Amino acid sequence: MKKILFTLACITIAASSLLMASGQKEATVDTSKSDELVVWLWDMGFNGATMQKAAEIYKEDHPEFNLVIEDQGDWNTLQTKLTTIASSGKLDSLPDILLIQDNAFQKNYMSFPEVFTDLSNTNIDYTQFASGKTGYSVIDGKNYGVPFDNGAVIFGYRTDILAKAGYTIDDFTDITWSQWLKQARVVLEKTGKPLLSAQAGSSDIINMMLQSAGASLFNTDGSPNIVNNDVLYKVAETYMQMLDDGTCIEATDWSGYTNSFSSGAVAGTMTGCWIAATIQGATDQAGKWKITNMPSLDGIPTATNYSNNGGSSWAVTSACKNVDLAADFFAMTFGSSMELYDAVAQNGVLGTYLPSANSSVYSQPNEFFSGQPIMSIITEFAGKVPAIEGGAYYYDARDAVCTAITQIQSGAVAKEAFQDAQDTVNFMMGN
Amino acid sequence: MSVININKKTKSTQSLGVGTYTFLIVAVILSVFPLFWMVIAATNKSVDVISGTLIPGSNLATNYKNLIGSTNLWQAMWNSFKYAGIMTVLSLLVCSIAGYGFEIYHDKHKDRLFSFLLLAMMIPFAAVMIPLYQMVSEYGLLNSTAGFVLPTISTPFLIMLFRQNSRSFPHEIIDAARIDGLSEIGIFIRIYIPTQKAVFAAAVTVVFMNGWNNYLWPKIIMQSNDSISMPMLIAGLQSGYVTDYGVLMLSVLFCILPMLIIFFAMQRYFTQGITGSIK
Repeated sequence: MKKILFTLACITIAASSLLMASGQKEATVDTSKSDELVVWLWDMGFNGATMQKAAEIYKEDHPEFNLVIEDQGDWNTLQTKLTTIASSGKLDSLPDILLIQDNAFQKNYMSFPEVFTDLSNTNIDYTQFASGKTGYSVIDGKNYGVPFDNGAVIFGYRTDILAKAGYTIDDFTDITWSQWLKQARVVLEKTGKPLLSAQAGSSDIINMMLQSAGASLFNTDGSPNIVNNDVLYKVAETYMQMLDDGTCIEATDWSGYTNSFSSGAVAGTMTGCWIAATIQGATDQAGKWKITNMPSLDGIPTATNYSNNGGSSWAVTSACKNVDLAADFFAMTFGSSMELYDAVAQNGVLGTYLPSANSSVYSQPNEFFSGQPIMSIITEFAGKVPAIEGGAYYYDARDAVCTAITQIQSGAVAKEAFQDAQDTVNFMMGN
Repeated sequence: MSVININKKTKSTQSLGVGTYTFLIVAVILSVFPLFWMVIAATNKSVDVISGTLIPGSNLATNYKNLIGSTNLWQAMWNSFKYAGIMTVLSLLVCSIAGYGFEIYHDKHKDRLFSFLLLAMMIPFAAVMIPLYQMVSEYGLLNSTAGFVLPTISTPFLIMLFRQNSRSFPHEIIDAARIDGLSEIGIFIRIYIPTQKAVFAAAVTVVFMNGWNNYLWPKIIMQSNDSISMPMLIAGLQSGYVTDYGVLMLSVLFCILPMLIIFFAMQRYFTQGITGSIK
């Protein structure tokens, strides 16, 4: 009996001491060193690799500098973590630097202004970044973020499949959506392959089309612009048409979407330029892809062939022990280092640092994309993207419009569905 | 007459047998196929996985090299073992005593308290996450095993499992043991535990699996790269703009191996333990 009790007590003590020991050991991880910065991000291959390179460059002149990268898996997880920590008020458990999706930047600031540090009066030269990009992280004239990657829209096509239908990439360059619909029907007829796929329940395509015409879901005064938005109706009509024709198919989730073109079932894709890395993942399709600009909307005076989807910026948190170091790090790397942008261009990372467009690395041909200098092409596209009103409720408006589109697909009247969407956004905004 | 009856019976048993077996075979294929596909995918290149190859490939070594190269696999495996192991030991200790106590010493008030405890099963974790984070952060338990384990040591489900199983535990034995001079804790350890092996085995499987698969809570409180668990490692592999499905599937394979071993080792007891609680 005593033996059993003794064993039980030993197990409990061992387990508790292991708990406490690990607690003490890891809880004292030192993030307070003045020459160390901790950064939270997602995607080590893309964002992480860029940060690592930036740290290497900064270390050359500041050997004592140390950057700790903590991969958070994906943006949703980082957002959940940020929300939990900010809501609990335990801001000291935040890292020094956070990577934030551009479209979520303003809302996060509005929800948790205490998380962000004003970076306006630092030696970061914001004029060196594309103004449309900087705009995502400027609130009340103050800079709360350092612009990072680009989301200029590209439309990639499988040229071998286009050729079977008698087309070349030029037939899909600088065209309108009505031309695209016509040609895509021919491609579908002759090859059996749709030219586009989308993620069901996502409004990416709708938003890209809207922005290409300089239209936003918000007015300049910040109020939602959905039910009386003529461009939105045109966009919805075009999107419905391509779904009806079968020239665009919907995948159930993100991997379904990427698999649709990686497997060769779909002959093209249109989204932010970061998708180039995914396209290149299908090594068996090397030399069969080319990129060009997206079609423009018919009958809209402001329509262009350029848009934006995605992209993110760095924010320095209020938990940062050494804001000067963080600001100097960004000024010396993301804010001025051509070496950084040249180095990460191989990973498909395209910064929004304007001088990087002149880089010799950018004009190098990419063999996967049939020898096209895709970095130069994308940089050129990025410069032509119309700026739009984003606003803090961007994601809410996106979700509402997405619901409306799904309703229209199931037979609802467009005006009523968009009215519902507008009411929803107004409700969210407390109007 | 009786001959005809026998024939009829055999016939109906046979046709029932064919129907049942067909259904079972289809069910087995549906359940086993994802596992089969996972193993096949782990040996193939990402491109082949996407194109739906069902033949084992030759890319296993490369996938393994890439997995080891891009992640801290063994650290994550060890962390998961540590978290799930400690959680299992402590949970079983706390919940078995609680379940035993609720049944053996039960009265009207304790029964009411028990019903109240069951209500806690209905509160979703997301609702308590923020206050829990506040507490854990307050006590300096971020990035620690204690922070991970403490909130989940006592679970209403386990307490209920132990309580329901204690119902079949004969009170006469307890009375006899008391007369023989055994203390209350002695009865629990020397008589109750040895007779409830099946329930403990079922509980080990459930708790270990919960601990091993837990994602949201560790994701929130584990902040350093050294403290990540296997589900976090897997999530990290598919977050990027490019996902290598071969590597991803190999990591999933590594992740489920311990679970498979534990489940198969305790399968017999698991069924007994769970069905015991329903009786």
